[in-house]
Amino acid sequence: MNLISDIQRSIEKNYNNNAFCFSNTYYTYKDFAEVISAIRIEIQTHVKRDEINIGLITNDDIYTYASIIALWMEGKAYVPLHPDFPLDRNTTVIKQADIITILDSSDDKVFSEYHTILTKDSNTTQIDLLPARVTKDDLGYIFFTSGTTGTPKGVPITFGNLSGFMDAFWELEYTITDTDRCLQMFELTFDLSVVSYLAPLLKGACIYTIPKDEIKYSYIFELMEDHELTFALMVPSILHYLRPYFEEIDCPAMKYSLFCGEALPLDVTEEWSKCIPNATIANVYGPTECTIFCTDYTYKRNGDNKTHNGVLTIGKDMKNTKTIIVDDDNNEVQEGGNGELCLSGIQLTPGYWKNEEKNKEVFFTKEYQGEETRFYRTGDLCTVDNEGDILYLGRVDFQAKIQGFRVELSEIEFHAKAALDKLNVVAIAFTNTIQNTEIGLVLESKEFETKQLLEDLKKILPQYMIPTQIKFVDSFPLNTNGKTDRKKLNKLFS
Amino acid sequence: MEVDVIKSKISDALVSILEHDNFEMHDELTAKDVDGWDSLSHMMIITKIEEEFSIRFKLRDLNKLKNMGSLVSVIQTKI
Repeated sequence: MNLISDIQRSIEKNYNNNAFCFSNTYYTYKDFAEVISAIRIEIQTHVKRDEINIGLITNDDIYTYASIIALWMEGKAYVPLHPDFPLDRNTTVIKQADIITILDSSDDKVFSEYHTILTKDSNTTQIDLLPARVTKDDLGYIFFTSGTTGTPKGVPITFGNLSGFMDAFWELEYTITDTDRCLQMFELTFDLSVVSYLAPLLKGACIYTIPKDEIKYSYIFELMEDHELTFALMVPSILHYLRPYFEEIDCPAMKYSLFCGEALPLDVTEEWSKCIPNATIANVYGPTECTIFCTDYTYKRNGDNKTHNGVLTIGKDMKNTKTIIVDDDNNEVQEGGNGELCLSGIQLTPGYWKNEEKNKEVFFTKEYQGEETRFYRTGDLCTVDNEGDILYLGRVDFQAKIQGFRVELSEIEFHAKAALDKLNVVAIAFTNTIQNTEIGLVLESKEFETKQLLEDLKKILPQYMIPTQIKFVDSFPLNTNGKTDRKKLNKLFS
Repeated sequence: MEVDVIKSKISDALVSILEHDNFEMHDELTAKDVDGWDSLSHMMIITKIEEEFSIRFKLRDLNKLKNMGSLVSVIQTKI
């Protein structure tokens, strides 16, 4: 697989460059190569050949990133496990992905009952970055996202998918070189992290991460200013946090500022553009299923930018992706019509991990430009204008984005109902005063103390899925179709 | 302003945003020790404290607010 050889070549070529900066401590590409090599030996010694999916505790250190590259060089996939996620959720993921071995850079094992390699303890060895034989169909990673039935669903991504993404990414000409300093602000359980470390690694640039105990948005600002970052992919919610401080921000070194994961409002983008006067700003879009992102729009500094409800267009499909807009019966809508955005191309996942039911629901084949083509229904309601730019209109289902994380509101409802002995509940995504999305929960009940409920939810759901506000109503309002009127319930929150 | 007064005002701000008082005010107290004090509520807490003391934090101040002790000393430099 060329991608893995490309990583090898880039590391070897840039030995004297800094590869990472963790909490102001630098590691060169040579340091990185040494840690990768040591972890490879551990994998070769302690992991069976037929074990493919390996758990990875997502700490913020050199060992964790080196583990990813070591696994890839051994032709194995990583499945990120967040040490702060509830044990229940991690155990479900471990079981679903058939994980036997976990790589962990902590001092003590996070999961004591599983076969664990403590990567910090790997012995130093000679550098060996020659990859094993890896094909395009081998898996690079599996990321688990929120699922409607209360169980997270796994999205496997192959090296073929990932190569397709990188190829399309370079084609955008958001250039990275060995002198660049790049932000990696994402948890490794979020697939935007992949491009944030992989693109710099392939060019010999330096990656700046965010320590776990720091406040993200203010730390990002300090990195941008103190280290003159030149490349940053962020979720738009960071901008909402920074907005009250825009006047204090002046970062002329920034060359590329990309946004993904949530709707990007035009007005905030305009204000942000003054904080980074020399940067190209881009809005990219894509679900984990289509490998990181697959459409792109470059913001025009002195021109008209297309919007819908103040939200910037997500632009056009990238080199290796085809997009169509369809109605409920998978027929393409007429130009300018609204429908569900569907994606196809070499970035598209082979399908959810061991979940045929869900696969039948969201993947379909249809003839497109004379070829049988496999498409994925994104659940995003979109329209395409006569210049081919895609405008995002909203969700077709009850999914919400919290700090870029995809959240099925029904998954929260499922667990809340279970905890409350079948009480009727509705989870709502609402916009707070700084334009970020929060989750509210409405209970059809007289008021009661909800501490226990929140504690129960925290045992099962990650922090970003825990409701921040709870309201009580005697009975849910209904809309004209006789369904619970979520819009009315939404107004309970502010 | 006395340190005790500052602390009690901070405590009030925390209670009003987090809607509970399950924490003890000491210098080493960090957001991690307090239920519900996450990045989302942090911003609201900061805003509330700014209002209570009629001060304005700089973006750069925010990273210094690692624990109660440093929060108190940053506030002291502003009032």
